[in-house]
Amino acid sequence: MSSKKEMIFTGIPAAPGIAFGQAFVVNIEDLPVTAEPIEDDMVEDEIARMESALKQTGEELSGLHSTLEAEMGEEHAKILDSHIMLIADELMKTETIQIIRNDKVNAACAFSRVIDKTLRTFDQMEDQYLKERAEDIRDVKKRVIRNLFGHKVEGLANLRREAVVVAHNLTPADTVGFRKKFVKAFVSEMGGSTSHAAIIARSMGIPAVVGLDEVRSHIKPFDELIVDGISGQVILHPKEETIALYEQAQERFLEMEEELLTIKDYPAVTLDGRTIELSANIETLDEVEDIKSHGAKGVGLFRTEYFFITRGTLPGEEEQYRYYSEVVKNVAPDPVLFRTLDIGGDKIAAWVDDTQEENPFMGWRGIRFTLSRKDIFRTQLRAIYRAAVFGRVRIMFPMVSIVDEVRQAMDICREVQDDLKRENYQFDHNVETGIMIETPSAVAMADVLAKEVDFFSIGSNDLVQYALAVDRGNSRISYLYSPMHPAIIRLINDTAQVAHNNNIWVGLCGEMVADARVRGTLLLIGLGLDEFSASAYLIPEIKKIIRSVTYDETKSMVKMALTKATATEVVELIDQFIEEKRPELKELIPKGAI
Amino acid sequence: MVTGKVKVENKNGIHLRLAGELVKAATRFKATVMIGRDGELINAKSMLGVAGLGAQYGTELELNVDGEDEKNALDTLVDLIKNRFYVEE
Repeated sequence: MSSKKEMIFTGIPAAPGIAFGQAFVVNIEDLPVTAEPIEDDMVEDEIARMESALKQTGEELSGLHSTLEAEMGEEHAKILDSHIMLIADELMKTETIQIIRNDKVNAACAFSRVIDKTLRTFDQMEDQYLKERAEDIRDVKKRVIRNLFGHKVEGLANLRREAVVVAHNLTPADTVGFRKKFVKAFVSEMGGSTSHAAIIARSMGIPAVVGLDEVRSHIKPFDELIVDGISGQVILHPKEETIALYEQAQERFLEMEEELLTIKDYPAVTLDGRTIELSANIETLDEVEDIKSHGAKGVGLFRTEYFFITRGTLPGEEEQYRYYSEVVKNVAPDPVLFRTLDIGGDKIAAWVDDTQEENPFMGWRGIRFTLSRKDIFRTQLRAIYRAAVFGRVRIMFPMVSIVDEVRQAMDICREVQDDLKRENYQFDHNVETGIMIETPSAVAMADVLAKEVDFFSIGSNDLVQYALAVDRGNSRISYLYSPMHPAIIRLINDTAQVAHNNNIWVGLCGEMVADARVRGTLLLIGLGLDEFSASAYLIPEIKKIIRSVTYDETKSMVKMALTKATATEVVELIDQFIEEKRPELKELIPKGAI
Repeated sequence: MVTGKVKVENKNGIHLRLAGELVKAATRFKATVMIGRDGELINAKSMLGVAGLGAQYGTELELNVDGEDEKNALDTLVDLIKNRFYVEE
């Protein structure tokens, strides 16, 4: 409870749930360093301060390293190895101490001089890739300077108490500091519901609200907050009555979650007997456990790029093979669908030579990237085919916009299989191969594409983005980003019909089932999709929806939806359906108290 | 003192992670290991120094190694760099 005025902010709901807590405002700005002359008798003190700041930073980094390793696996932790080595650099320390002694300046200034000398050489480098590595050194510098000034580092790595994280934005690299134990909810100024941060929050099962413009100018550290990841509201300095209302809402939400878990092992079948394959989206091996505990049947989308962007060099065939094999073995007998490297857009690996593009989402990404780097593509395919002997594997190519891309990719698959055979490797000959349908051109050409592959999986995030020409990370136009838009429903409907006319199966692995929850799932059932893949945490809820309706009634509803003019009309239609036919489903969307 | 020259074969040059590998390898020896180019050499046991080398693909690095295990140290480091740090790229 607070005596300050209650304020309500509305953003984009990014991960469901309700959380209460004190704000932890992530602050990554530089602290200014000035040269302060010191007296002779202060030299030893200043050196001691320097040594203690280095020690403290080293401990922080090692602590973060072990926590990351324990909570998120070795892969995440590796990123910090070079930071730790930098801090342990004896010569860097000696040089700093020399400057303090000889020039009689404060430790922060001396340390900055040593680091800046190296940073200047980075500025002169021609190689863009090497040049960008300077960021790691800057990060270490910031940490040491903050510790020298005795500033509490408000970076995620330093989170030592339960809190609601408030940030401007979270990049994939920032999330290595995300410690599930302490993070009760996540609030950001930037981003849409399909931003990296939102996806991470959902996969970790913590509430999140994103796209809250300039919220950091209102929220100060330790301010009391309520985060409602269902309605997208964030309440600052909540009144007693508000807290009570939200406590009830949270209780309802938790009860629902618990109840949902009781049906996790039931089949995902509609009341009139249509079975839908329900699988989970994952990025790392660590998430495999979540799949089973939430009742998903296998992996419907393994985002392999994560394995590539968390390291400074390209992983080789053996390394990939070992990793993929572990995933396949752990998920067997259920299938694992590997999406081949989908680099580009907001996911850039450190080893990609040239990442400067005006329009990265319309640029060198997905299959366009792998077809121009066949060496990388072949290595990945070899690893996947070899790992396939341990269970059931499917391969899928992302960002297809023309049929030639599929033909080229399929040729490479055949070549890779021939090579493996010649080299006497064990591999699976019967791996299903499919493509992601996420560009309007792929929908328009679906009848041609269907003849080339075994399945389609609709990537609803990008399909909405490309079909409605709306950047999903741009909060200013986020109102346009609607998977409920009749244009999207028509595109999905066309894709599903073409797939079935050509006897191939069609799934959806975007966040449409997650974002739009009950409404989205009802539509997708009626659209006749054979498979849905979503964050493991959402699987029980989606299963409950599937088990509550008949395919026939949702099909009739979709027929009506296809005649609507706006997203609002579609939403009204679905809400009417729920109200009249399945009012019990309303309970699945626990409303925020306000 | 023994000296040697070796070309960087890694496509992305000696970036931070490889710098770490190089420092780790140099630190295993008692000898003083200096590395660099065009006569400007830095201590190969300093992470900050090696990271700031800016050694990209094709850069020819010079090594000056001095101490009781100098021969072994030079061979090990030349071998490591020549073989692209034994990583696939």
